[in-house]
Amino acid sequence: MTTRPTVTIASADGTDSGSTHPLPAVFSSPIRPDIVQTVHTGMAKNKRQPYAVSEKAGEQTSAESWGTGRAVARIPRVSGGGTHRAGQAAFGNQCRSGRMFAPTKVWRKWHQKVNLGQKRFATASAIAASSVPALLLARGHRISTVPEVPLVIDSKTFEGAAIVKTSAAVSLLKAIGAGPDVVKVQKSRKLRAGKGKMRGRRYRQRRGPLVVYNPDTDGKELVRAFRNIPGVETSSVYALNLLQLAPGGHLGRFVIWTSSAFAALDDIYGSTTAPSALKKDFLLPSNVVSNADITRLINSSEVQSVLREPRGYPTTKRSGVQKKNPLRNRQVLLRLNPYASAFSKEKLGQKSIEQENPKGAGEEFTKILHEN
Amino acid sequence: MADRSNISSDLIWEIARNQNAYLVKRRNGGHAYYFSRDPLNLVNQHSRTHAGFVNEKAVGVHAGPNGEGVTLMTKKAKKNGNRPASSLNTVAWGKGTPGRKIFKGIANYTAKNGYRPDLRGPAVSRASAIQGSQKAKKDTPAKKLRGSKAKKAVQT
Repeated sequence: MTTRPTVTIASADGTDSGSTHPLPAVFSSPIRPDIVQTVHTGMAKNKRQPYAVSEKAGEQTSAESWGTGRAVARIPRVSGGGTHRAGQAAFGNQCRSGRMFAPTKVWRKWHQKVNLGQKRFATASAIAASSVPALLLARGHRISTVPEVPLVIDSKTFEGAAIVKTSAAVSLLKAIGAGPDVVKVQKSRKLRAGKGKMRGRRYRQRRGPLVVYNPDTDGKELVRAFRNIPGVETSSVYALNLLQLAPGGHLGRFVIWTSSAFAALDDIYGSTTAPSALKKDFLLPSNVVSNADITRLINSSEVQSVLREPRGYPTTKRSGVQKKNPLRNRQVLLRLNPYASAFSKEKLGQKSIEQENPKGAGEEFTKILHEN
Repeated sequence: MADRSNISSDLIWEIARNQNAYLVKRRNGGHAYYFSRDPLNLVNQHSRTHAGFVNEKAVGVHAGPNGEGVTLMTKKAKKNGNRPASSLNTVAWGKGTPGRKIFKGIANYTAKNGYRPDLRGPAVSRASAIQGSQKAKKDTPAKKLRGSKAKKAVQT
């Protein structure tokens, strides 16, 4: 890393306020979807409430088996007479109005312990991922009007409980370019499939931006301003939650930081060398690979210089190939007979022998020949 | 993105390849097809080469406003990678622009601005397909009568 990247701080109307803040070290922590997913599955279980069927369900009868010899199955049967229920099978999970198989118990293991180190790693990872526009797009956030990711808003906007009313919060979100993401949430509201409808989970909808504030400077009034906007959640920077930073275990939540919350991140998470001021025994996780750009690594001269030549080059030696006929294949001919090129260039094959037609031996000779 | 050492297109693709908002999985008789709704994807296929939201250099071609003309979108990731509002360039051709002019414009624009040469062909063919879809449909010609009906028509 050459210089530490900076992030411009946007003013309340979405324009550049002129001030910048260096990117906190937590944004350079490794992005590990595997860790985030496992931690998320563990953490998501920790808000569950126990449920179970009644202990007595299906067992409230004095049924007894009729034993063998009555040409019916030996399942317990309701005793007595005078009602249709008498003589019907009971208790078994296969029976009508019997108990269920393996009745659910309230003492099921509902919660799961997740190691603190893993939780912190996952949170750091999710924060880092929230600064990558591509991952925000992959999560489905509408960020095409957002001036910059990570989006940091000047804390002056919230100073002195300036944003208490929801209308002010909505117009702020619109001004900073988060409007389309809120509209997406509003449009996504659908009736839930299944029984959840009657259990207080009537609708399902997408998640919008997460507003992260610093309660010390921004105050807590903004929470009430934002809480009735669909999909928008608020969180104190001191209590960031993985369930909000990576909903569903998927990285890349659209986070709107206030500038004081953004500045507090370095205090809260420290760096890879300086321990965190607020978290005990915590250093930010380091990257295993110092450069995540694999394409650049492969194409670097250091790697390329020690690689063997790729196969299939003109100079690659091929073995076990079909024998070529040198009389038909000129390249093979030339390899066997280096003279062949000169031979054809000079057109020696087409040339007639350079000498005059043989002269007759001469008249003298014939005369002598014919003499007897 | 350019000066962040913990992020790269390769990493983003590995994170997002299994699930992302653009991915559309369709199953046809046991064979799964993976499509993409990415606006910067020229062939609408879910693949690393065409994943526009992942790659630093990406090109998108779309029908213009009201379905007229062709718009070229290009991504400026090197400079404005983390500024989504200003990371796209658009070039628009109007309704009457001849196809060849658009194709030449797309090819020249992408080639001269250092976009990937392997995207040039798909960009042009997408523009061509868009233009084809914008043509007014010809009415089907009246059906000729055949056989006995034709004979009857001649007699009357």
